[in-house]
Amino acid sequence: MSDQQLQNLIKMINQISINNLHHGDEDKAADVVATHIRKFWARSMKQQIIDYAESDGIELSAVSRLAVKRLAEPQEA
Amino acid sequence: MLQYFDPGKSGLNPDIDYGTPPSESETLVSVSIDGTDISVPEGTSVLRAAALAGITIPKLCASDNLEAFGSCRMCAVEIEGRRGYPASCTTPVAEGMSVTTQNGKLAKLRRNIMELYISDHPLDCLTCPANGNCELQDVAGAVGLREVRYGFDGENHLDADVDDSNPYFSFDPSKCIVCSRCVRACEEVQGTFALTIEGRGFESKVSAGQSEPFMDSECVSCGACVQACPTSTLMEKSVIEAGQPEHSVVTTCAYCGVGCSFKAEMKGDQLVRMVPYKGGDANHGHSCVKGRFAFGYATHKDRIREPMIRDSINEPWRTVSWDEAIGFAAKRLKDTQAKYGRESIGGITSSRCTNEETYLVQKLIRAAFGNNNTDTCARVCHSPTGFGLKTTIGESAGTQTFDSVMKADTIVVIGANPTDAHPVFGSQMRRRLRQGAKLIVIDPRRIDLLKTPHGSEGIHLPLRPGTNVAMVNALAHVIVTEGLEDKAFIEGRCEPEQYRAWRDFIVEERNSPEAMEAVTGVPAELVRKAARIYGEARNGAIYYGLGVTEHSQGSTMVMGIANLAMATGNLGREGVGVNPLRGQNNVQGSCDMGSFPHELPGYQHVGDPNVRERFEGDWGVSIDPEPGLRIPNMFDAAIAGTFKAMYVQGEDIAQSDPNTQHVEAALTSLDCLIVQDIFLNETAKFAHVLLPGSTFLEKNGTFTNAERRINRVRKVMAPVAGMEDWEVTMALSNALGYPMHYRHPSEIMDEIARLTPTFTGVSYEKLDRLGSIQWPCNEEHPDGTPTMHVLDFPIGRGKFAVTEYVASEEKTNRKFPLLLTTGRILSQYNVGAQTRRTENSRWHEEDVLEIHPSDAELRGIHDGDWLGISSRVGRTVLRAKVSDRMLPGVVYTTFHHPGSGANVITTDSSDWATNCPEYKVTAVQVEKVTQPSEWQRHFRQFDERQHELLTPAAANAETSDATAIK
Repeated sequence: MSDQQLQNLIKMINQISINNLHHGDEDKAADVVATHIRKFWARSMKQQIIDYAESDGIELSAVSRLAVKRLAEPQEA
Repeated sequence: MLQYFDPGKSGLNPDIDYGTPPSESETLVSVSIDGTDISVPEGTSVLRAAALAGITIPKLCASDNLEAFGSCRMCAVEIEGRRGYPASCTTPVAEGMSVTTQNGKLAKLRRNIMELYISDHPLDCLTCPANGNCELQDVAGAVGLREVRYGFDGENHLDADVDDSNPYFSFDPSKCIVCSRCVRACEEVQGTFALTIEGRGFESKVSAGQSEPFMDSECVSCGACVQACPTSTLMEKSVIEAGQPEHSVVTTCAYCGVGCSFKAEMKGDQLVRMVPYKGGDANHGHSCVKGRFAFGYATHKDRIREPMIRDSINEPWRTVSWDEAIGFAAKRLKDTQAKYGRESIGGITSSRCTNEETYLVQKLIRAAFGNNNTDTCARVCHSPTGFGLKTTIGESAGTQTFDSVMKADTIVVIGANPTDAHPVFGSQMRRRLRQGAKLIVIDPRRIDLLKTPHGSEGIHLPLRPGTNVAMVNALAHVIVTEGLEDKAFIEGRCEPEQYRAWRDFIVEERNSPEAMEAVTGVPAELVRKAARIYGEARNGAIYYGLGVTEHSQGSTMVMGIANLAMATGNLGREGVGVNPLRGQNNVQGSCDMGSFPHELPGYQHVGDPNVRERFEGDWGVSIDPEPGLRIPNMFDAAIAGTFKAMYVQGEDIAQSDPNTQHVEAALTSLDCLIVQDIFLNETAKFAHVLLPGSTFLEKNGTFTNAERRINRVRKVMAPVAGMEDWEVTMALSNALGYPMHYRHPSEIMDEIARLTPTFTGVSYEKLDRLGSIQWPCNEEHPDGTPTMHVLDFPIGRGKFAVTEYVASEEKTNRKFPLLLTTGRILSQYNVGAQTRRTENSRWHEEDVLEIHPSDAELRGIHDGDWLGISSRVGRTVLRAKVSDRMLPGVVYTTFHHPGSGANVITTDSSDWATNCPEYKVTAVQVEKVTQPSEWQRHFRQFDERQHELLTPAAANAETSDATAIK
């Protein structure tokens, strides 16, 4: 993974978050963001952002961080 | 008695000219013509009624795509109880009317008129290019003209000068009979009003502009006049050169998303001319300069005629057999996967190729590559349409037919330039505007639609680039707060909870036009006026283009548009709707066919186990349940070293995608790039395998246009390298060990129909029978669906979406004080690979930078100066054109020429939901310079080098054996 690639993923998720802030509270917004990423991001991209959130995560917005946490949790059937 | 209910549609032969347009009346009137009884709609002309009864009345100035004119008097008839010999074209039928079309008196009258015509017409029929297809000659024969008593020595027009200025047609006024068909076609069909009859009486003559050569006039070269001309006065130069064609095949144009039907008129396997087909429901016999004339690229010397391979991009190309090229490509792909893993390769489907070919490429990727790394150029144009419309109204497609615009009272055009980019639909819009429909244009640039001759006055909201969402929210705010909502529609058709949330949001003062004025730059009162005109219209229709989608909030804006239509009840009938204007011929189709990494054909998500199960059952493989990489993610992964090989069919990502230097870095990082194209395009210069593509003239298949219309593409000549594109994909799949055995694209369509709920009723047999089909076509809608969402939405109720305005991160500052926005022009198409190889380049030899006079003055810039344009990511140089079509602070260019480097400056800022690049907003600085940019100098060197590497291969080319591999 290159720095550029990670930077782009961080930019993307923060952009998704900021465009979904209107869904009431941060929890709700994070749900929407997590659903969006589950639906549209490739496996490798999801893994990269999860790894980043777990190791550092400083550049993730609050909603993005919550969303990534949801991604890392095993999905209910 | 013969009965005709709907002239213009069922049962009529598109190859017959019925003389005058159909009447829309539902009241039938019975008449007798030469003893044949027929009942036709009230308002039908006697000429048309006769034609419907199979009776031919001679005519010269009449044509069924033009209003009756009554000037040639050739169609005179006798009507019982009426005096004289009225022209049948201008005489409507009346109940009980008894008409005689042939008798001694009429014959004499017609012969006398024809005698006058011919007394001022050259008698060079045998050497005339219209010989064999001349209406004047046919009518002279029909009326039995045997002598011209006036002689040929009197005053005449036989020495009139020929105007050869237009590259595609000549104008020889010596052959003109001043029937005005060309003038009327320019007005009524095209809507340009470039032609006129100048002078009076004997001095009358057809004139382009103010007696200018055609090329210097405002003529847009659509060719409607050429098609209308009953003599050889206006004649295609290709016919003058080759002679009359001997057979024709109906097919579909491969340029824009209008998807015009054409008759490809042939001489053996030589295409002599393209004539728009009256039976085509997208274009009704009209076309633009690209579709009608710009087909020469198909036989251009630059075509790639042989498969080629090389180990690295610094080596010369080696011409090889199909077998070797496919084997080489397959081995490279397999080796890459063995070394870097299953997900290290992917591919890009083409929006220029057929549905069947696109379907096959994504199938190859999902089934033979074993991953979902498939994407398409719609990523960079209409991906937000897919997301936004699916979220709100449940289907990723426009809601209407093109013809629906003829019932619209208010037409809203947002970020689109139909007269340049979708010219035939632009002409139809102009026809409706001339009938009095109101026009609202939301665009940073003043588009030509706003100066429609004889059209109603339009409202232009010239907003700042990047502020669409602020504008659509302001419009919706007015609709809601001024009581212009359609309450019944909202209650009956939309989800109440989402509606309430949206309504609470939109009524907030911060969304009012007054509050948003500081953002959009458009006076609040003008926004209110526009909102009222749309909100109060009986039928309001919205059309939008890439000026909506190619933004960081492209998807939000699409949802905002859907909100507006739902709030005003402008969905589910003719004359209304939400209509994306698609850029390329098959953008709709390539999206429908499952080109996106998260969706199987028919917009079915790969994560849905039921969907996967059906495909897995049919394809005999297991499908990865996770979405694959999108194009920009592929580039990032390539640079990171995890994505190593790519199969690109009919796309030029190196020229069309943003931030060129980033794309080039990605392409040079690949171990194996397989490009299948008709030319050595910019992407192919980075390739290791070059597979010759076939043009739309060389294959069978279907395209789906912007109105969801599936149209047949029919082969008129053999593919230059022996393989149609779908056959190449099949060969590659077989070489990779995933067998594909289609004998004809119709079998691929049968598979698509099996697996795609919106296509279950589609087959080649039905397409041939009905002419075209608008999907959904299934048990519920066996003949297709012209208007969508009539009773409900595919998701049940419509879902309003809250559309918060979030400013783009691409902002102006002191270093980059101007905003660059990009677009296209009429004569060139997209990256220009096709149109640059035709005479169309005469209209647009280079991309220029349009700059407002005040910005130009500040920088001392004049027309024609070289300008350096710098953004945060790159720099290029273009010539200046001072223009006040944009507001101060906004500059504009096109991207049709690779050397212009328009995309060297566009950034990788993109739509939040789909990563569609924000081409329409780039902060730049502009200054006078004296030499090309560094990128341009590098581009020229690289371009020259790559052409050198191609030359020896082309010189050694031998005919490769395609039959062996099929």
